[in-house]
Amino acid sequence: MSAEIRMTASPPSKTAPWKAYFSIFRIELLQKVQYRIAALAGAATSIFWGIVEITVYTVFYRYADNNAAGIAAGMTLQQLASYIWLGQFMFLIQPHVPGEFTQKITSGDVGLELCRPMRLYRHWFARLAAINLSSLPVRGAMVLLAGIILPGGYRMSLPASPAGFAATLISAVGSLLLCTSYGMFVTSVRMNVSWGNGPMFILLLVPGVLSGTYLPLQLWPDFMQKFLLFQPFAGYADLPIRLYIGSLAPSDAVWAVGLQILWSGFFIFLGNLIMNRQLKNIVVQGG
Amino acid sequence: MKARTSPGNLSLYWQYIRIHARSGVQYKGWWMMLIQVVFVVFSDVISTLLMFDRFGSIGEWSIDRILLIYFTAVTAFGLAEVFCRGFDTFPFGMVRKGGFDRVLLRPRPLALQVAASAFHLHRLSRPLCGLGVIAFLFCKHHVIMDPARILMLVSALLGGFLMYAGVFILTSGISFFTIQAIDWIYIFTNAGYQVTRCPVEYMPKALYRVFTFIIPVLVISYYPMSVICGWGEPMWKGWLPLPVGAGFLLVSWFVWRFGVRHYKSTGS
Repeated sequence: MSAEIRMTASPPSKTAPWKAYFSIFRIELLQKVQYRIAALAGAATSIFWGIVEITVYTVFYRYADNNAAGIAAGMTLQQLASYIWLGQFMFLIQPHVPGEFTQKITSGDVGLELCRPMRLYRHWFARLAAINLSSLPVRGAMVLLAGIILPGGYRMSLPASPAGFAATLISAVGSLLLCTSYGMFVTSVRMNVSWGNGPMFILLLVPGVLSGTYLPLQLWPDFMQKFLLFQPFAGYADLPIRLYIGSLAPSDAVWAVGLQILWSGFFIFLGNLIMNRQLKNIVVQGG
Repeated sequence: MKARTSPGNLSLYWQYIRIHARSGVQYKGWWMMLIQVVFVVFSDVISTLLMFDRFGSIGEWSIDRILLIYFTAVTAFGLAEVFCRGFDTFPFGMVRKGGFDRVLLRPRPLALQVAASAFHLHRLSRPLCGLGVIAFLFCKHHVIMDPARILMLVSALLGGFLMYAGVFILTSGISFFTIQAIDWIYIFTNAGYQVTRCPVEYMPKALYRVFTFIIPVLVISYYPMSVICGWGEPMWKGWLPLPVGAGFLLVSWFVWRFGVRHYKSTGS
């Protein structure tokens, strides 16, 4: 038997200083990076996936009836190989709603979280950012290492220019911000217990397809290119990678990063809005 | 001695499955999960479709040919996911949390309890989509489905099912020792059938060998499809999936049994 308690929660009047949220980010990151063996096992999958992708693309570039189509789309096979490895790397920061969150939501422990003198949105935002980032130090590094040491056509090239590399780094930070904002938006939607996981998974699937990690956006149909560049999820991976391989000039980073920040702001606003509405009428399950 | 009221093993399995299914549909959004898996299945091939659209066929290898092979593997994988889901979630759900201790206490076959420990209705979407695509492409290319071909397709899917069930059981067996860190298994499951996107003739030798002789994904997908559609592989290779899948399952079974004997509880 389970009892249901309906409670009305309002955000605490006195919220914690920003330093507290930063500490949470740090603790979560340090904790998650501990799982090194698991990260290595994961890296094997990423590297395998990268090799298969490059193999398939190479077959198209060499043997397809219309094998010049890739170059015509503005991408050499060498650039594509770099794209694949960086795509595998950036894929690791794509958000999901962590099991810890869904468990707290389903079990009602979220009520406990609300007792803390912190805004739930900011608290979980800090944790999610750390979780998104936590795969990079070991698993991500192994993926890039594979790209650097693999022979011949599987090798990742150097960045197009030093300025381009700097632009990539800045844009990668933008990606993390965007991914976390969107992940928190989905978390807010997931707080409605009675709908289960369905809506969440659909919301998480769309960005994956449109981020470029499924298929580099430049190889999508020509008539979609304008749309693909400005939709929010190009900022997940495609924009920073384009800056790296030189499909975008370093000066383009200004609008590319601007776009990432704009979309992040949009999802942060939306996430806060939804979470506040959900918290007003939250159902805590338990018994 | 068995109590008279206790159901047989098979009906126990179905009872488990029924309970999981009924608890699953309690969520308002349960049907969205069905759609979600359909999305996943088709979004996985978006990149292949768009590449063929841009680059055209690769010699004899048209998009339809690749899709037939790919979806044979996907359907087999989907079937294993539907009926052996418990093994798939076993390393996280049972070994790490210590739930396996409880399973050991019950006087029922271990494999049955584990296999039936999870069932998700939405996993049905994957094999159904796969079958749909295969049927569609057969109609499109006027492949005549005589009894021999139907039998070969069924045996291929069954063999593939056994193979993927074997992969899950193998993973579970290994997880007794590693406890976690089994992410590499995706190479043989979700990432594994991605190799079927590459035309077999152009596949690097190493890749071809791994997915033929170690984990026989190509045996259960490419060979039967080649025989059924007449792409030139000899007849006998089309009948390989069932014995090969069964063999793979048997090896996995021994690893699992070995793991069970060396099980040390991790839970509290």
